[in-house]
Amino acid sequence: MSAARGDAASGAPGEGDPADAVLRALADPHRRQILRLVRGGELAAGEIASHFDATQQGVSHHLQVLAKAGLLSERRDGVRRLYALDPHGLDPVREVLADLWPSALERLKYVVEQDQQKVAAPKRAGRKP
Amino acid sequence: MTGAEVLTATVRISAPPAAVFPYFIDPALLVRWLGEWADLDPEPGGRFALDLGKTPVRGEYVEVEPPKRVVFTWGVPGRDSLPPGSTTVEIVLTADGPDTVVELFHHDLPAEEFDSHLEGWIAKLDQLVRLGAWAAP
Repeated sequence: MSAARGDAASGAPGEGDPADAVLRALADPHRRQILRLVRGGELAAGEIASHFDATQQGVSHHLQVLAKAGLLSERRDGVRRLYALDPHGLDPVREVLADLWPSALERLKYVVEQDQQKVAAPKRAGRKP
Repeated sequence: MTGAEVLTATVRISAPPAAVFPYFIDPALLVRWLGEWADLDPEPGGRFALDLGKTPVRGEYVEVEPPKRVVFTWGVPGRDSLPPGSTTVEIVLTADGPDTVVELFHHDLPAEEFDSHLEGWIAKLDQLVRLGAWAAP
């Protein structure tokens, strides 16, 4: 059982993995609270900050993390920065979910076919239909 | 079924359905491709219990029709977003020449609408990614 096998097929995951970024962004309760605030519609950074005891700087860091992870969209309106939920923000994580069963079924295929070969080792598909 | 989602997955296996079916009902065979521990009572109403890493998956068999169809419920105790009984996994095995085509449908997963299901998603994401990480080759 190797606990930390690398991703041989598609290069290094880790930092660059979009699903990871989404998850890390959601791991913080302040950031989840921000998402709840903006679910009703676009809000300015200042309005969001007013809901928190944290400094404006702290809130703005959270906003950047959420925006980078693709969970928030960001636009400027004069001097204001406005934030809204990005409806595609969860796509990377949905892909992880969508990969659960295909991966498991691929393993099932491997296991069954290995077992079949053991059972039928001597004769190999020589039958006519 | 508004707001619910079905996930599908399929695979073709070089073996007849009768050879594939036991891998969905025999705990020793199931854990070779799904999870590390299983306790299964493969009859309608019977227990379906499986541990995927640290995540307990609990449910019960709904339909068991060897060698072509098996249905069980799927949930995680203590997870509001995915309680036991809340989702259903349906597996259909179809013979195709010497092969079996396995189709899997995971029904009633929380919908993807981000804003209306935000809470459920936040709770579920962690769960899913843990399962996904476990399932990665």
